[in-house]
Amino acid sequence: MTDKHHIVRAFDRELEAVQAKIVRMGGLVEAAISEAMTALTDRDPELARKVRENDRLIDELEEEIEHDTAQIIALWSPTASDLRTVLAVMRIAGNLERVGDYAKNIAKRSEVLSEMARLESAVGSLNRMAREVEGMLKDSLDAYIQHDAELAETVRSRDSDVDQMYNAIFRELLTHMMEDPRNITGAMHLHFVAKNIERMGDHVTSIAEQVIYLVTGERPEEERKKRDRTSFVQSPES
Amino acid sequence: MNEAADTISTKIVARDVNVYYGDTHAIRDVSVDILDKTVTAFIGPSGCGKSTFLRCFNRMNDTIDIARVEGTILLDGEDIYAPDVDPVQLRARVGMVFQKPNPFPKSIYDNVAYGPRIHGLARTKDELDAIVEKSLRRAALWNEVKDRLDASGTGLSGGQQQRLCIARAIATSPEVLLMDEPASALDPIATAQIEELIDELRERYSVVIVTHSMQQAARISQKTAFFHLGELVEFGPTAEIFTNPRDERTEAYITGRIG
Repeated sequence: MTDKHHIVRAFDRELEAVQAKIVRMGGLVEAAISEAMTALTDRDPELARKVRENDRLIDELEEEIEHDTAQIIALWSPTASDLRTVLAVMRIAGNLERVGDYAKNIAKRSEVLSEMARLESAVGSLNRMAREVEGMLKDSLDAYIQHDAELAETVRSRDSDVDQMYNAIFRELLTHMMEDPRNITGAMHLHFVAKNIERMGDHVTSIAEQVIYLVTGERPEEERKKRDRTSFVQSPES
Repeated sequence: MNEAADTISTKIVARDVNVYYGDTHAIRDVSVDILDKTVTAFIGPSGCGKSTFLRCFNRMNDTIDIARVEGTILLDGEDIYAPDVDPVQLRARVGMVFQKPNPFPKSIYDNVAYGPRIHGLARTKDELDAIVEKSLRRAALWNEVKDRLDASGTGLSGGQQQRLCIARAIATSPEVLLMDEPASALDPIATAQIEELIDELRERYSVVIVTHSMQQAARISQKTAFFHLGELVEFGPTAEIFTNPRDERTEAYITGRIG
């Protein structure tokens, strides 16, 4: 935000320390998404277990950040951009923790799915969707580090692509289930995977919005248009 | 905390105010509207002119020979620097409380009764008693001193002395109360009492306070003005100044940063 440093340097150090934890947490969450998807694609229960175990580290970091930010508020009474930094850090930590949870859930489902018949095309679509969300997460974290509100804005606009991908996968899975009822269990699990990725996209978008608030001091103005009409879809033909 | 500005009238209008101390240009082209029934905080580094500007509102700078005030300051639309304005009468309408509690070396009663006496605000002893009690109650001091009104004002604790000075300032029923660092010499409890008092005084008066405590300004004011090198850099709702200041200099000052 500013090249100026605080007169009391210890305040700079504490703000930097908690922000470094966000960056570390972001790295762990990026890895969790990518590994969960690999575990799903390669039917690798070992990797899935690793994702579930690493989620503990993410949760621990969130707790640390929560503690640190509370302490900064109590001891330093941050104002203006300092205050916005602390608020953004708290919320971003919460968002990252949720994304981590969704990755863990994908890993869990991949273990169940590794015992079932493959739905190859759906897994391909899910990978594309997950890559998009990973890219958005990477950009939103970069936007956070560089205080780049414009980059954050592009992340925000990409969430509707993810929503569209989700709708397409929903229809695809519905088709599989109608073709052969034996696909239902697997397709249901894959649908939850898709929903998890879609929810990740929402949390990543929220991170981007925190960055915009942090940099500009304003909440992003217009609500993103809600184009998700999946709940009204009855069959692939409708 | 933020009142809708349009339901509250403007009490003081300052336009293009410049103040000089001899050759020193202390205040540069400052224009500001001070609202009624609102606490306005003036913040800024030492020597930025905030106290000087505050003292323009009741012509306290008149007492300094080399000080020269230019521009317009209107109280309820009337020019307070007009030749026919009596500064003593003005100061009854625009009261002031200073950084260091400065009670007169007189009894608690006489400290508060002083202003009403010289301005002839009470005709009888009973009326004067009533004004003294009302002022001490509004200053949240009555319960602590009601049994020893004859005791010397200087024998009170620092926080009590400051509340006595506030009682003295409001005894003349002023419309505006100017406070120059009123709590900086007090402990946290006395400070909290003064802050609570200021919040109550806001119901009746327009309060303008100069403070070095950012948190105090944030807690008690609805409007904040940031001064720097004699200029008014930024003036706006307190909540905005402290979450999203527009000017870099404000940001640097309130977050405690230097280049």
